[in-house]
Amino acid sequence: MSAWAARAARSVVLPLTLLVVWEAWGVASGNRRTPTPSRVIGAAIDLVTSGDMIEAIATSLARVFAGFASAALIAIPLGLAMGAFRSIERNVDPLVESFRPIAAIAILPLAILWLGTGTPAAVLIVAYAAFFPIVIHTIAGAKLVNPTLLRAAATMGLGRWKTVRTVIVPSALPSIGVGLRIGMGVAWTAIIAAELAVGAKAGGGGSGGIGQMMFVFYAYSIELNRIVACMIAVGIVALALDRALRLALRYAMPWNAQ
Amino acid sequence: MNAPVKLRLENVAKRFGNAGAAQTTAVQDFTLDVPAGEFLVIVGPSGCGKTTVLNLLAGLELPTSGTVVLDGRVIRGPGPERGVMFQDYALFPWHTVRGNVEFGLRHGPAGAGLDAAARARRVHSTIDLVGLAGAEDKYPHQLSGGMRQRVALARLVANEPDVLLMDEPLAALDAQTRIILQEELLRIWGQDRPAAERRTVVFITHAIDEAVFLADRIAVMTTHPGRLKAVIDVPLSRPRNDATRAHHEFQALGQHIWSLIRDEAYRATVT
Repeated sequence: MSAWAARAARSVVLPLTLLVVWEAWGVASGNRRTPTPSRVIGAAIDLVTSGDMIEAIATSLARVFAGFASAALIAIPLGLAMGAFRSIERNVDPLVESFRPIAAIAILPLAILWLGTGTPAAVLIVAYAAFFPIVIHTIAGAKLVNPTLLRAAATMGLGRWKTVRTVIVPSALPSIGVGLRIGMGVAWTAIIAAELAVGAKAGGGGSGGIGQMMFVFYAYSIELNRIVACMIAVGIVALALDRALRLALRYAMPWNAQ
Repeated sequence: MNAPVKLRLENVAKRFGNAGAAQTTAVQDFTLDVPAGEFLVIVGPSGCGKTTVLNLLAGLELPTSGTVVLDGRVIRGPGPERGVMFQDYALFPWHTVRGNVEFGLRHGPAGAGLDAAARARRVHSTIDLVGLAGAEDKYPHQLSGGMRQRVALARLVANEPDVLLMDEPLAALDAQTRIILQEELLRIWGQDRPAAERRTVVFITHAIDEAVFLADRIAVMTTHPGRLKAVIDVPLSRPRNDATRAHHEFQALGQHIWSLIRDEAYRATVT
């Protein structure tokens, strides 16, 4: 118990010290807008109790899920086809690779011009961002199939299509899972960036998503404590999303002991 | 033995790589008949092309020259009538023991004509046969090496192939498990049944005692390039068991085979 307590104490010493220094520096600066831990906590409590934070996260999450699901629905079948059939890969790979370096945020101008500043544009940005990690990990997974398993299937008389379905697809699942996790991470990053860039167009409060809410605090009311509170919320949601997805993947693949 | 010829290798050669200096000859001048129902064991030092011969029979490789024949027809690819047990188990990690044993019946032609109930019965009895009852719902990563090997054997047997091709299936096991599985293998093959009811087996090993214990005939290979050096009859009576290992003829045959490959085996240890 005492060893555990000592370890726990050691692991909180540095963060606590940093918080105290930050607080002291904020107070010493004399500027009432300088964010300090106590002011950020106050801002966070305000945002949560007013309902804005919850609404903002819910709005952003809904966009993320819609974009992420669309990306997965396209990227997984395409990646499997590319990984399993060389002819498809040869034709599609240059296209995928030439779009990949274009950051999601770079297609925002087009997305806004075509779809406006609301949810459809945000979903498109998210889908675009999440697509690449998912498709690339799916291709890699399909290609990394153990060749002996393919030989085993061949000696049991399975044709090409059946082998794809019964050997290549399940072989690729763990790698697809990794792609989904990375894709979920960039989807969340992309939605914040997209909402920030769209700016204050929605009805105010949390209705425009967490990024737009941050934009309002930045460009209109200049509330740095609330911005920091939002940053922390973004981090917590990202962590929760990844943990949930990891749990779901472990549950879906009990055989994948990693 | 007057059994019809099941497998025939005729002047088979297999070279890998493009013609020229980089080309390696894995197997050369290989001619051998395997009668139906025979348990043939191929022994030889590592690198002698044993696995290549097995892959040729499986249809996973095609010969550079010569022909490989099954039931009078030239082999042009893999087929469900020739089941293969791979050296590294080749189990599907996403399937349980049951799913692995069922795989060929469910997805391959071996299960044609079997309804779900008949399939389940076959899977159940095969799992019993290899002593895996109780482990049906385990995944391969939860099993010991010996149990994985049993799963691979069960998957092979469940498909009821005409010919069983086994590539050092027991090589990765500890000595005790090996001895136990050797006897079980003979039981599953049907050493208690009349010869006409047995399936044809081609079994690869580098362990001489294993070859003598299992085989009706032993094909001894030499290396660089892989050639057939001798084919030796094993006159030990069946069923074979622990008493067989103590038999003086068991010892004598082992020594004879060792004398055939000793020089090369020594050379292999210093190169």
